[in-house]
Amino acid sequence: MNRNVIKALIVKDLRTIRRSKSLLTVLIIIPIIFSFVIPTAAIAGIRFFDVEGSMGSDAEKLIAKFLAEVTVSSVSLETFKQQMIYISINYLFTSLFLLVPIVTASVTAANSFVGEKERRTLESLLFAPISIKELFVAKILASFLPSYFISLASFILSGISINILSYPLFDKLIFPTGNWLVLIACLSPMILLSTILLNVFISSRVKTYQEAQNIGGMIVLPVIAMVVGQVSGLFLIGMKIMLLLSLALLIINLFMLKKIAKSHDRHVLFEKQIH
Amino acid sequence: MKLTSTSKRIEITERSGIKMISLQHVSKSFGKRKILQDINLEVEKGEIIGFLGPNGAGKTTLIRLMNGVIKPDSGKIFIDGLDLMENSEAIRKRVGIVTESAGLYHEMSGYENLEFFADIYGVCDKKRIEELLFLFGLQEHQKQQTGTYSTGMKKRLALAKALLHKPDLLFLDEPTNGLDPDGIKMVLSYLGEYQKQTGTTIFICSHVLHQLESICTSFAFLETGRIIEKGTIEQLTEKYTKEAKVEIKTNLEVKSGSFAGFPCEQQSENCIIFTLPSKKYISGLLQEVLKNHWVETVALLNTDLESIYFQVRSCFDES
Repeated sequence: MNRNVIKALIVKDLRTIRRSKSLLTVLIIIPIIFSFVIPTAAIAGIRFFDVEGSMGSDAEKLIAKFLAEVTVSSVSLETFKQQMIYISINYLFTSLFLLVPIVTASVTAANSFVGEKERRTLESLLFAPISIKELFVAKILASFLPSYFISLASFILSGISINILSYPLFDKLIFPTGNWLVLIACLSPMILLSTILLNVFISSRVKTYQEAQNIGGMIVLPVIAMVVGQVSGLFLIGMKIMLLLSLALLIINLFMLKKIAKSHDRHVLFEKQIH
Repeated sequence: MKLTSTSKRIEITERSGIKMISLQHVSKSFGKRKILQDINLEVEKGEIIGFLGPNGAGKTTLIRLMNGVIKPDSGKIFIDGLDLMENSEAIRKRVGIVTESAGLYHEMSGYENLEFFADIYGVCDKKRIEELLFLFGLQEHQKQQTGTYSTGMKKRLALAKALLHKPDLLFLDEPTNGLDPDGIKMVLSYLGEYQKQTGTTIFICSHVLHQLESICTSFAFLETGRIIEKGTIEQLTEKYTKEAKVEIKTNLEVKSGSFAGFPCEQQSENCIIFTLPSKKYISGLLQEVLKNHWVETVALLNTDLESIYFQVRSCFDES
């Protein structure tokens, strides 16, 4: 594989992202909402309002389920506010946070694959002395790198907000916990890769960027189900489940990579994509 | 792998001499639609071949086949003696192409586009970019996003992109589409000059016939997926021009429908069109006219590429 070619393709894709106002807006606004605005508003709400009174028995059920399943020795969870904030940080916000890599990867991948086709530049790349392997590796990296960078930045932003708001209650920094470390180190990269690979599949079957985003958007459904499940107290996704999910996604990703490598050769790609 | 390629190349060279392009019984269909049928074509090194045909004749498909981005259903394609199917990557490094859509990144400047493709084609000398920008009159606009370029500027930039790596073979698909007369003149004269200096083989697809006449050394005509004729302009003229139509601007007036034994028609005042058995009768006719009249201009009407093209097509339709 020619590294210079891969580097040139990545630099070019990053430049495209940097210059597109609509792409940049999505890539900045969505992560800020899910990693900063919602956690900040929720923690501030719990700290400064009477959540116990307004939520009533629902909150009690959630806390009871949590306390029955999880043993926490590192922080004191004596008050309702401490318990609520701790559960929110480690279970609700983590699920919500997954929307950051999914949305960013959907946007960058759709731009990278279908965007190239829509702008009629894929033709130039297929005529060039680039192997299909180099093209796919570069395109996957060009989608993965900015999305993971944004996820890391969102992780840091979440941490700052969570620690500042929760410090007065716990008298210590409670972020990052094990759940968050597994989230950023294992689950986020795996879900990013899944989103990108799914987009590669979709991009060879749809004609427009809009279509790719619409179909690719379906990947958020399991995450929304996770959020709803956790808020309703149906299940709690802790560190172990997150590690298992990461492993499952790794297997799915390897399967998708193998499938992509097999089914995409230059001729097939050209005949399907260029009209 | 290298050994196989080399031995294949030698084999082809021995069998038929090294042609820059050799198509042998190439056919291609999309679904049930036959695009190209049994195409046989050989292009010598250093030739500028004009590939002519109406829209939808299969010109673009043929260019795509010769670049190895689509596979023929049957037949073989050799580029400079190398089997395209086995050496497509190596061949792609030696080939330049300008497609109809130009294939440029609109959010990037002219310079950035060339810089990107220079990296892709392994061109290390960045002076080449400056050189091409200057050559195609794009230096002043090099920092401007290509999305804001006129069609002509995009075409010129696409041509610069195709020439970055100094290809041995250049494919141009409708290179003058969207260019104004100045742009057409500039691009065609540059291509002719470039070919003279570098010996690059150039394959031009077009449906605008008169533009190609001045630079192409040979022509091939494509009709409904088949090559119906090929040859140099001299060979084609010889074959298809049965009579010479000569337009003479003169003060001679003809009322009987013939002069000096040649049929003719008075087109307007001071303009007559003669029909001669061949070009060699022109001198004799002029001598007769000049005995008592003045002659301002003499023009051969039916030996230009366009006339030959229609002649070839009508012969094909009749057959």
